[in-house]
This record gives sequence, C-alpha cells and structure tokens, in this order.
Amino acid sequence: MQVTPARSGDVDVWDRSEMEPRIRHILERTVRLRDTGPYRPKSDAEVTAMLTGFFAAKGLEGIAITDVERMSGGASKEQFAFTLTHRETPQGERLVLRMDPLEAIAQTCRGREGEIQSIMGNHMPVAPVRWFDADGDLLGQPAVILGFVRGVTQPSEGGSGGVSGMGGRLGSLIDRLAPQYIDALATTHRFDWSRAHLRFFDAPRADSNQAAIWQVNWWSQVWWDCLVEPVPVVALAERWLRENAPLCDRPMLVHGDLRMGNFMFEEPSGTFTAVLDWELAHIGDFHEDIAWTMQKLFGAWGDDGVFLVSGLLPRDDFIAQYQAASGNRIDPVRLHYYEVLNAYKCAVMDLGQAMRASIASNNHQEVVLTWLGSAGAVFLSHIVQLIRKG
Amino acid sequence: MLPNIDLRIANMIKALEQVVLPALPRDQRLARDQAMLVAGHLRMMGEQWKSALRYEQVALDDLQGLARHLLPDAPALLADDLKAALSMAQACDRVSVTAIERANIDLGHAVDAVILGGKDHAPLPPESIDALLNYALRHARRERSWFKANRLDPDQHDLPDLETMLAEAD
Repeated sequence: MQVTPARSGDVDVWDRSEMEPRIRHILERTVRLRDTGPYRPKSDAEVTAMLTGFFAAKGLEGIAITDVERMSGGASKEQFAFTLTHRETPQGERLVLRMDPLEAIAQTCRGREGEIQSIMGNHMPVAPVRWFDADGDLLGQPAVILGFVRGVTQPSEGGSGGVSGMGGRLGSLIDRLAPQYIDALATTHRFDWSRAHLRFFDAPRADSNQAAIWQVNWWSQVWWDCLVEPVPVVALAERWLRENAPLCDRPMLVHGDLRMGNFMFEEPSGTFTAVLDWELAHIGDFHEDIAWTMQKLFGAWGDDGVFLVSGLLPRDDFIAQYQAASGNRIDPVRLHYYEVLNAYKCAVMDLGQAMRASIASNNHQEVVLTWLGSAGAVFLSHIVQLIRKG
Repeated sequence: MLPNIDLRIANMIKALEQVVLPALPRDQRLARDQAMLVAGHLRMMGEQWKSALRYEQVALDDLQGLARHLLPDAPALLADDLKAALSMAQACDRVSVTAIERANIDLGHAVDAVILGGKDHAPLPPESIDALLNYALRHARRERSWFKANRLDPDQHDLPDLETMLAEAD
C-alpha cells in the first residue's frame, strides 16, 4: 500500500482525536448510555404521554394526541405518525415522530438532522421540520417531529424491495425519477453551508485531508466501541484509509445516504415529495455521496442486464448527468478512496453497531439488525476488490 | 430426540406464515415485517444449524493460517501476543461452538494488533497484505455463502450452497 505524502494543512492520519465535536458527543453518549438498556419498543400510550408532555413544555394549550400509528421502514429510528390538535390548530395536523431507540445501526444526532433538513426545505422537497429535541431533554429520548408527507419509496405495483429500500425496482418511473434524483444530489452539493450559521455542524479545513480523517475517525471509533468479533479486513481497511486519505479542496454538504429508498415520490406522476433521511449529513467531500450511491447493494439490475446506480441509471450515464448538473468534476482517485470508505462504513454499521445494539437488546427491531448484519460480508468482499484495484 | 430441531423450526415457520401473519392487521406493517423476518431467520437457521460446528472450525482454521503467515514479519512484542493466541486457539475444545467462537475472537484481536502495527504503526510488509487480502476474500465468500438465503447479496448466484462451501474448505 502506498502512503499519501503529508501536505502542510494535513492532520496526523493516526490522530484519533481529529473528529467533528458533535459526532464525538454522540458516540460518547452512546457508550455512556449503552448499559442502561435493554430498550423496550414504545407503546401508543407511552408515545401519547411523551408527546403531550413535550408540547405542553413548548407552550401549546388544549393538546390532544390522536390516531397514533407505528410506522415501518428504516433500520434505525422508532417512528410514529400521529395527529396533533391544540388551541391554535383545532383542525389537527398529521405529524411524524422520529426518535432514537437506545442504539441503532447508525448513531446520529437529531439536532443535526432537524437543523439541516429544516434549511434544505428551502431548496428541495423534504418533510417539514416542526420541532426537534437534540438530546431528548423534553421527550426523554432524542427525536425530530416532521410534517407528514404522502408518497411511496417503491412503486406500489411490482416494485417491492427488501429491507430498507434495498434491491427494489423502480420500473416505468425511472425516466421521471432519475433527473430529480440527480438534481437533489447537485443541489445538496451546491448548497452554501458557510452562510447557513449551522449550530450542530463543524466544517473540515479546505485543501487538507481533514475531511477524510474525520470520517475515518468517526467510523473507526464506532467499530472499536462496538466490537463483537474482530474482522481482519476491517482493521486493514482502516489502515488503508488513514494511509491514503486524500485532500478535499472544497468541503461541501454531503447528504450521506441519498439512494434508492431515501426519496419519496407520488404516483402516478413520479414527482418527488421528499428527500428523506438526513441523519448522516455532514460537511465533507462530495465524492462520498457519489461513491455511496454507486454501491451494488443500493442499486438494481435493469431488464437488459445493465446495473443501475440507485436503480435509476447506468454508472457512466449517472456520472455524466451528475457532472453536468452540479458543475463538479469527479476525480477517479478520490472516488475510489470514498468507495473504500463507504464499504468500510457499511461493514462497521452491519457487523459492528448493528450487532452491538442487538446483543445489548437496545433497539426496537433487533430482528432487522441481525438480518442486515447477515449481509455484512458483502461489504468485506467489496473492500478486498477495491483495495486490490487501488 | 423427538420432536427434533428440524421439525420444530418447520412448525414455527408454518405457524408464523399461516396463522400469525394472516391474523395481523394490514396496517400493522412493522409487526408484519418483523414476523416475516423471523420466518426468514428460522428458514436460514434450519439450513445452517447442523453445519454450525463445522463452519466455526473452518473459520478458526483459516484464521490460524493467516496468523501463521503474519507471524514472521510481526514486530517482536506483537508477535509474542500473536504466538500466545495461536497456541490457545490450537488447544481449544474443537467440539464446542462456544469455545471455538472465543478462540476466534481472541486470535482476531492479536491479528488486528499486528495489522495496525502497534503504537508506532509499524509498516505492513507487502507479503502480509497479500496474505490478509487472500484470507479476507475467503472469509467474505464463506460468510456470504452461509447467509446466501437472506437474498441481500447482489452476486448471490455466484455463491456455492453450504455443503459445497464446506466441502471446498476441506
């Protein structure tokens, strides 16, 4: 493995303290609270009581919580739809509560999710953020409360996929969905975060390897904090990622999980109604988003046997259309690096965090986490292929 | 042993699919999803349980082979730990899944320490990296085959069935 030579603005690639402060807070909180489990899925009555207390603390009067309905989807947050009625909204409003169980496949921050989703609502369709409780001070556990958005993530007819939107088929809607998908990626990366006064985010230095090392330190800390069974190629990948960390000339907003299953659209028009799941958003290298969506597990095979990125476009078409829409040039070396990083992240989530949450019984759907964990070796195989290629 | 494990697993799947799931309201999607996944897990376990001991033995043998490859070039202090973990693994009770799992974990920690090169991050020789990548590909293929029935693997059609995979390891 060739080691990338250090530049003047670079950080020490082995300095594990090089991490975005809010991420460090979340990871340390996870470890601190781990032993307070096991987590028990919330009942409708418990959710009603939590929400009533929350809205009272927010100063609402004449509160009624009705039609509480547990939602499926995702492998991370416990989600409920409900209707809120209070003195100023007697007609009621349908909302979604998205809250953290004690541990999930990805430990993230509802403050970051609420903040960025709220701002990005000015630039693309997203579920409107009504409230968030970053550290669970009022609700008892961190949560974000969103406006209810109608739509589907898979076509109702013939598009059913597997767990978390993976492996589905978007069928005849592909031509309508693909341009909107490209536009969502380009809009995210064009967003001027430097003027946004973000409270829950910090930005890595430009023209430095800091963006890459922050990510490596985030996910390697998750791995070592969660370790159930050592996996040699995961340790090797960490070493490779440190020794090959590339420069990021211009940090941009990265969605972190923009792929099939995380955009919602209405039928039959195919018009986007919401770009979902901003929980992994951060300021970093846009190649991370491009490499993420190109992973095989998040794509599908077309009828002609061609692999479709996010179930929408052949790889070359995807790259060409993204570059045209965003004005960003994709650097193959950085793309390759972030392909390794993303395969590593997925392995860490599936074989590290998901397994630890399951063993501790700290989630509301361990049976899903162990199912996803059983796919972790797909990413190990991918890491080997990528490191050999590089 | 009656009723045997195969029969009980088959009965549980039937109960879930033909009684529990139809009784769940259509709008209880999380409960329905989880019930279907439980049936899926049970179906996989039904295929796996008789081979679980053999699978763990093969995994430990392969990890021991990797450890022996890494040993000559490992920094002295880490080599001592690796040698000790290797001896423990060789001495473990090979008819106990629990004992083999423990040995795999202990040896894995010693291998990880060598990969990361200790406090000074000692360089990994190219031969060690080759050995690691070869091992990793075998390990990943073994695990992907073991869990092939989850149908999440985009290349599942290239994977052998469990019997063939274990026979290949012999």
